[in-house]
Amino acid sequence: MSEEAKVVTKQRVAGRPKLLIRQTAGFVYCPGCHQPLAARAIAEVLEELGMGDRAIGVFDIGCNSFLLGLLDIDAVLTPHGRPPDMATAIKRTYPDNIVFTVQGDGGLLSIGADPLLGALTRAEKITIIMLNNAVYGTTGGQMAPTTLLGQVTTTTPRGRDMTRTGFPAHAAEMIATFRGVAYSARGAFDTPKNYMRTRKYIRSAFQKQMDKVGLSFVEILCACPANWRMSPIDSLKWMEEKMLPEFPLGEFKNVDKTE
Amino acid sequence: MLKGEVIIDEALCQGCGYCVKFCPRGCIAITGDKFTPQGYLLPTVIKPDECKPCGFCAMVCPAAAIEVYKYETEAVA
Amino acid sequence: MGERMFIEGNVAIGWGAAAAGCQAFFGYPITPQNEITEWFAREFPKMGRIFVQSQSELGSINLVYGAAAAGVRAMTSTSGPGWSLMQETMSDMANAELPCVVVDVQRGGPGGGPIRHAQQDYFQCTRGGGHGDYRNIVLAPASSQECCDLVQLAFYLADKYRNPVVVMSDAIIGRLRETVEVEKIEFGPLPDKDWAVKGKANHKDGKRRLVEHAGDLYFRYPNYRALLQSLQQKIKQMQEAEFRYEAYKTEDAKLILVAYGYTARVAKEAVNMARAEDIKAGLIRLITAWPFPYQIIKDKAYQGGEFLVVEDSLGQVVEDVRCAVEGRAEVHLVSILDRHIPTDGGMILPDKVFDKIKEIQ
Repeated sequence: MSEEAKVVTKQRVAGRPKLLIRQTAGFVYCPGCHQPLAARAIAEVLEELGMGDRAIGVFDIGCNSFLLGLLDIDAVLTPHGRPPDMATAIKRTYPDNIVFTVQGDGGLLSIGADPLLGALTRAEKITIIMLNNAVYGTTGGQMAPTTLLGQVTTTTPRGRDMTRTGFPAHAAEMIATFRGVAYSARGAFDTPKNYMRTRKYIRSAFQKQMDKVGLSFVEILCACPANWRMSPIDSLKWMEEKMLPEFPLGEFKNVDKTE
Repeated sequence: MLKGEVIIDEALCQGCGYCVKFCPRGCIAITGDKFTPQGYLLPTVIKPDECKPCGFCAMVCPAAAIEVYKYETEAVA
Repeated sequence: MGERMFIEGNVAIGWGAAAAGCQAFFGYPITPQNEITEWFAREFPKMGRIFVQSQSELGSINLVYGAAAAGVRAMTSTSGPGWSLMQETMSDMANAELPCVVVDVQRGGPGGGPIRHAQQDYFQCTRGGGHGDYRNIVLAPASSQECCDLVQLAFYLADKYRNPVVVMSDAIIGRLRETVEVEKIEFGPLPDKDWAVKGKANHKDGKRRLVEHAGDLYFRYPNYRALLQSLQQKIKQMQEAEFRYEAYKTEDAKLILVAYGYTARVAKEAVNMARAEDIKAGLIRLITAWPFPYQIIKDKAYQGGEFLVVEDSLGQVVEDVRCAVEGRAEVHLVSILDRHIPTDGGMILPDKVFDKIKEIQ
């Protein structure tokens, strides 16, 4: 009679993607900030697509700039608001690379309006990723184009007032109206389900670029506990109760041909 | 028999609590008496036997501080 | 190439850039350099090279930043108001150590100014132009041929020092048709652009590359001082090795004219008029406005010379000359206020300069 033996196999189920750099000293993000999850999602998608060696990230000034220390791909840091310009030039130089930008809501919609419109009207085949946390994060929490009505920020101390400063801007819907845009979607990182959904949106966006269809855009709602003056868990609640109703998730444009 | 193991890297953890919130089985908790070297509240896996593992904790961790493993034990004749 | 053409300076810029292997041009419409943008729009697609009309001058310079970061020779051209818009990114490129060429075809200022010639961007070009401590090499063509040749030199120097280089032209040089022999100039070998971003698959070591300009992320240098020391060393190297000027009849000259661009041609004519009357005048024509040729001017000052600066501005070059003479010589000025007529078409003419020469004697 033979003896019973136990074979134990150990398999890694989840953890740091290969393209995500482990930083201890250089990791500057506030506890609960969702921006590093963008690096994680991009890393996972690039690994899935096998494009880690043919990807160039173009990062704006802002909290998103620190993401370039987290992703093991060629990367460029640009002046504030300018990534669509650099990405245009780099994509036209190396069209076989996935060239994408990572920008904040202020970086893209405020100071970045000029390069954004340039890329949209010229239908550049790049991917623009906008991390929307409804404030200017790096500088301490000033009002941004996507700040909600009534939201208190350091430059709207009594809450954003529509009579003085207008209404929050909806990037994904606006960008979907341009003919040269192949894909425009909005995701969020506030729950695992939304993370997975957003990761799929990023993958679709990169695929549109690989298929040479047109410009692709992904807006991602992110928590900013430090500047919202909340704990991380409370900021998730604020996202669910306030941000998601204002900024609905989903795909606003998804075409196989731009015309 | 499936077993999961969650390893939280205390050098990276920032005590945000997302892993605690999103574990479907409440396996992780901030007990309040453990801290990371940087002074953040370090979560503990309080119910290791209930871990599926699903990997959600690793997925939502902004610091990518969590690694999740699956163990399979087989009886061999 | 090696072709003889009868072309204006603006068009010569295009042929020179093509000869230098420029791969990408980005531009926005602005007078008086539209001929440059339109040349690239016509010719670059034929050559399989990149042309994009940008949405603004901000777009132009930032597209250049991108192409430069990707390791290809890239340039833009503009005039005064557009040049002002470009300054933040010029500063960023100096920090990021990106090579590029920017052509400024000067027009009247300040502000929107007349769209015709002037030489008022000298300070802005030679002092960096943007915030922070850095310098651009500034080349000043005075003919169509020089437009073609100096733009090639510009690409070489930009790559050699990993620094922006400005070609400071003006509306007269830009629109003047002259015979140009378009020939590719060989400057010598340059190192590979191993630092450029191309996708990891295109790097021999498979490691990623990073181009950044922030200075406080410490990816390239251990600390801020190290960055500044590196910049200062680069500035010093450029100052020592790259100044260029033309000395015309200066060996025995007691009165030295100093000028660049179109006013240098005017000054040369005035020197000839003076010599015909036995006045020992000479001309130092700046070919590089930065680095400024301080030494030759200082030497002439110590030898007892006197100076007359001829520039189509209220007085910018004159300050560098005053600095160079170290108080040892008189420095006179023929300025934009001495143009022959008060409208924007007015020019500094040789007669006026000659009158001033006689007055000084």
